[in-house]
Amino acid sequence: MAIKKKRTHIYLLLPLYAYYGLFFLVPLGILFIYSFWLTSTTKIIPIFTLHNYIEMFTKELYRTIIFRSLYIGLVIGLLCVLLSYPLAYALTFKYKKLQDAILYLILISLFSNYLVRVYAWKTILGNYGFINQILTYLGIIKQPLEFLLYSKTAVVITLVFILVPYTILPIFSSLQNVSIDLIEAAKDLGANPTRAFFKITLPLSMPGVTTGFIFSFILSAGDYVTPQLVGGNSGLMIGRIISDQFGQSYNWPLGSAISYMMIFLMIIIINIFIWITRILKLRS
Amino acid sequence: MDKYSIEIKNIHKNFGNVVAVKDFSLNIKDGEFISLLGPSGCGKTTLLRILAGFEFADSGDVFMNGKNISNLPPYRRPLNMVFQRYALFPHMTVFENIAFSQFLKKKPSKEIEAKVNEMLRLVQLEGYGGRKPNQLSGGQAQRVALARSVINEPQVLLLDEPLGALDLKIRKAMQIELKNIQAKLGITFIYVTHDQEEALVMSDRIVLMNAGMIIQVDGSKNIYFHPNSTFSATFIGESNIFPGKVDSLLSDHNLVQIDGFKVKARLNSEATIDGGVFLAIRPEKVKRIKSADTTKAYDNKLIGEITEVIFFGSIVKYTVQISAGLKIFAQEVISDDQDLNNISESNIGDKITLGFSKEDLNILLK
Repeated sequence: MAIKKKRTHIYLLLPLYAYYGLFFLVPLGILFIYSFWLTSTTKIIPIFTLHNYIEMFTKELYRTIIFRSLYIGLVIGLLCVLLSYPLAYALTFKYKKLQDAILYLILISLFSNYLVRVYAWKTILGNYGFINQILTYLGIIKQPLEFLLYSKTAVVITLVFILVPYTILPIFSSLQNVSIDLIEAAKDLGANPTRAFFKITLPLSMPGVTTGFIFSFILSAGDYVTPQLVGGNSGLMIGRIISDQFGQSYNWPLGSAISYMMIFLMIIIINIFIWITRILKLRS
Repeated sequence: MDKYSIEIKNIHKNFGNVVAVKDFSLNIKDGEFISLLGPSGCGKTTLLRILAGFEFADSGDVFMNGKNISNLPPYRRPLNMVFQRYALFPHMTVFENIAFSQFLKKKPSKEIEAKVNEMLRLVQLEGYGGRKPNQLSGGQAQRVALARSVINEPQVLLLDEPLGALDLKIRKAMQIELKNIQAKLGITFIYVTHDQEEALVMSDRIVLMNAGMIIQVDGSKNIYFHPNSTFSATFIGESNIFPGKVDSLLSDHNLVQIDGFKVKARLNSEATIDGGVFLAIRPEKVKRIKSADTTKAYDNKLIGEITEVIFFGSIVKYTVQISAGLKIFAQEVISDDQDLNNISESNIGDKITLGFSKEDLNILLK
């Protein structure tokens, strides 16, 4: 008598699938359909049209903010990776003994409340904030630096510091796979430390770098709390506009369309990033 | 006059309070296969890493072809290393792994391709160029690691227990293969192992180490038949060790006393009369004298009782109690010869006469 493959695991997963399906996939689907509809002052008009998709690129406001958000996301993603990599590298190869302690410190910062951290930056970057006070005290500046707060710079600084822990962890994790044997073998075969890094360490840790970049890019391009608190006018980002469509502007179709367009563009940018890293990985 | 490819002079290395290598000096001949043999922690791997450039000695120098390479980083030393766990680059194919050193030297791709294919032929892995390291068995990975180092045509190759992770049968086959490749290419091999049988099989010379120091340096046969210390006698092969006293010194042998028995031992120029020494003889050198056999004369004869017999496949090992304080381990090859009557368990309790040559009984001072 053949033993049937037990399928009880499917039944155990059913509640999770049902929850996920009902509260995530179905709404996503509904919003996707909405993105092709229109709205009037009183209700949503179910005609199929590309009006929303066209409007977001023809209206200057939307077009500008979309590209600004992608640009800021890209800058933050790259800065996070560039700052996190040396830290993760040092932890793995130079400070093995302190490794655990520092990892705990990083994790603790992740557990702190997001809003609290944004407010903290607001006070640090302000006209009478920590940075300006020190620079004035040292005599380096006479007037407080105004661009530090309520600007794109503020958004970048704040989000980079909030997201660096999220970036360090995957990079650190993938560096664990780079056994020191491999680096020694590369050196033995004639690679100086720089070449050993670019030919062995970096390619092997690239998956972690990509993951880190994706985290910080996606989280910052779509963020709307931080821009709202420290972005000012020049730091207005698309997250705010989308949330308005679902709020006071009452244009769910437009909000959905912009969201899906953002998702689409972010996927393209991520794939370009991965493609570039693949080229870097290859030898000439 | 032998040409020395490597001269090691007075290397010291500590790790914190632990002395890893102590005053190590050695000259290695060009083209020889020399093994660093010893138990775990004896410093052999540390010394190898110092030669490779992955550790720097606290004091002492390493010369290669007369040039002091002690302070050079590994990528500037004209030697290459085969790692214990192969260290193949997982993100590159077998071809790219082997080609790595040539690629770094910016050799033209046609030349690289020809050389890599030659290497694949040498290690009998033709056709494997496209595979990734995770698709290889242990033995195959080891051969790729070897090819990767040898393609560089180093004058000296360092091998750090390269066969340690392999099954017994594959290990034995690889030992022969490595020896053949070394003979064919004429590269000096410096080979670290803790397996004394492996060292005996493969080496021209063995450097026996313990606790960071050299105990004995000699050819395999010499180190086996004439160990210089109880450590050498027991680490390599098996040995009888008896405490004894030197009775008199003669021109071609020394007379010693073991538990009251006077026996002739191999001449040891450093032995002093009445000095306490150790006597060592290999079990296979202790022969069974059959009463009918009068053709062979033995320097030494002892009579005792067989107390233990163990069957080992092709040989039989047996223990003979000579006196209350003297027990000898002997062994002999099991023979099909009808006249020979091999020893078996049924002989336990029998009286037996043992004979051995004075040249086989070594006097050891320590």
